[in-house]
Amino acid sequence: MVHLFENHGYKIALDVDSGSVHIVDDLVYELIPQIEKAVEAGKSDAQIAAEFGGGLMDMERKEAVAEILELKNNGVLFSKDEYEAQVAAFTKREAVVKAMCLHIAHACNLGCKYCFAGEGEYYGPCGLMSEEVGKQALDYLVAHSGTRRNLEVDFFGGEPLLNWDVVKALVRYGRELEKKHDKNFRFTLTTNGTLLTDDILEFANQEMSNLVLSIDGRPEVHDRMRPYHNGKGSHEGLVEKYKKAADSRNQTNYYVRGTYTHFNTDFSEDVLYLADQGFEQISVEPVVAPPTEAYALTEEDLPVLLEQYDKLADEMLKRRRAGKPFNFFHFMIDLEGGPCVYKRLSGCGAGCEYVSVTPWGDIYPCHQFVGQPEFLLGNVKDGIKNTELRDEFHNCNVYSKPACKNCFAKYYCSGGCMANSQHFSGNIYGAYEIGCELQRKRIECAIMLKVAESMDAQEEEEN
Amino acid sequence: MKHIKSLNTRDLKKSAKKGGCGECQTSCQSACKTSCTVGNQSCEQLKK
Repeated sequence: MVHLFENHGYKIALDVDSGSVHIVDDLVYELIPQIEKAVEAGKSDAQIAAEFGGGLMDMERKEAVAEILELKNNGVLFSKDEYEAQVAAFTKREAVVKAMCLHIAHACNLGCKYCFAGEGEYYGPCGLMSEEVGKQALDYLVAHSGTRRNLEVDFFGGEPLLNWDVVKALVRYGRELEKKHDKNFRFTLTTNGTLLTDDILEFANQEMSNLVLSIDGRPEVHDRMRPYHNGKGSHEGLVEKYKKAADSRNQTNYYVRGTYTHFNTDFSEDVLYLADQGFEQISVEPVVAPPTEAYALTEEDLPVLLEQYDKLADEMLKRRRAGKPFNFFHFMIDLEGGPCVYKRLSGCGAGCEYVSVTPWGDIYPCHQFVGQPEFLLGNVKDGIKNTELRDEFHNCNVYSKPACKNCFAKYYCSGGCMANSQHFSGNIYGAYEIGCELQRKRIECAIMLKVAESMDAQEEEEN
Repeated sequence: MKHIKSLNTRDLKKSAKKGGCGECQTSCQSACKTSCTVGNQSCEQLKK
């Protein structure tokens, strides 16, 4: 399958199943779909050359066809998806757990209006994880991680800083476990920043591989959706605190992270606001919400949102060329060193390699399912009891999702978020169409930025 | 080539032969908690 698209003046051919990216001229752009059909019909190279090569003197056309056939014969154009059987065998391997979202606090000092956790409490009682439960969770992770060495733990909430002493105790415990069992813990702290102090930052800089700092962008946008319980906005002072955190981590291994909604469909302004404040690692994501909410994204928003991604990509390119680059998480793509096909096609891992643990030790497939009784898998003391549900998640991959079959994005989103599928289609094998549209646009922009980088480098070399 | 310029990309077919160690980052453990993204993860074997 070949995905052809134009972005920022570049004509790009993505050979979906080999992962190859080609920058093509107008003629090749026009010829590829026609030749693809001929290849699918089983025509030989000679037949294709004769059919599409034009008249005797049409050397340009003959060259273009020859180049297309050369790529085809090198396996980087018109390649086929031959992975289904291998991915099926891969997903049949015994499920191991390697990543855990630890809900250290089901409580929050903010009342964010779009919080999927119902303002931090996951529609259940308020509660903080005890050190004992946290240790059981880490023990469970190590015991079920098989031969995996790298184990990821995200301290999540609610607001984890409401239970900071337990976070510190669990990090220390994790360090003991990694020595004992030859593991490598990678800790992440996700925080709303309001309680962030110098001491906390110092500890985080020593121990946390990644720091996720919540902020939606412009003050008025942030304050509208992220107020304290008394209604006051929480933006004030955040930029200064986060700037200090980002600089103290040498502008790496952190993200300022925001959510955009129907209320700020001009979200590129929020990304640029964050870049203008001096942040170099930025992630701003679309809200996921039931259509009944006023802030939910609608189909009518889509054209505006797609345009916003293009606008953002153009501006990022401009800034990179001006020597002021920043990273936007959803435009980051690793074309040369990205994951293998198994990772790309076997789904996000929720419910098997990735689980969430509540303050009481209950295990759910991921943070988005926490608090929904029908998705309870078990608990860290007794292990996973609902193996049928676990297997359902384990078997969910791009081949079990009909909407993914002919989508060029499947190697980059791995079938998308299962929780979104559940919320919007009623089961984890469905699709969330608005999310898919946005994802496809983000991938096109990400590839375009790589193309531009490559063309800029070539131009520099030539000069 | 005159009409086509190809970028350096990882050959997915080759990665199917050797891949699958499972050591790379879980997508929701990065910056995103609501939208699965794997294309930007780095392969732990290639990092070495």
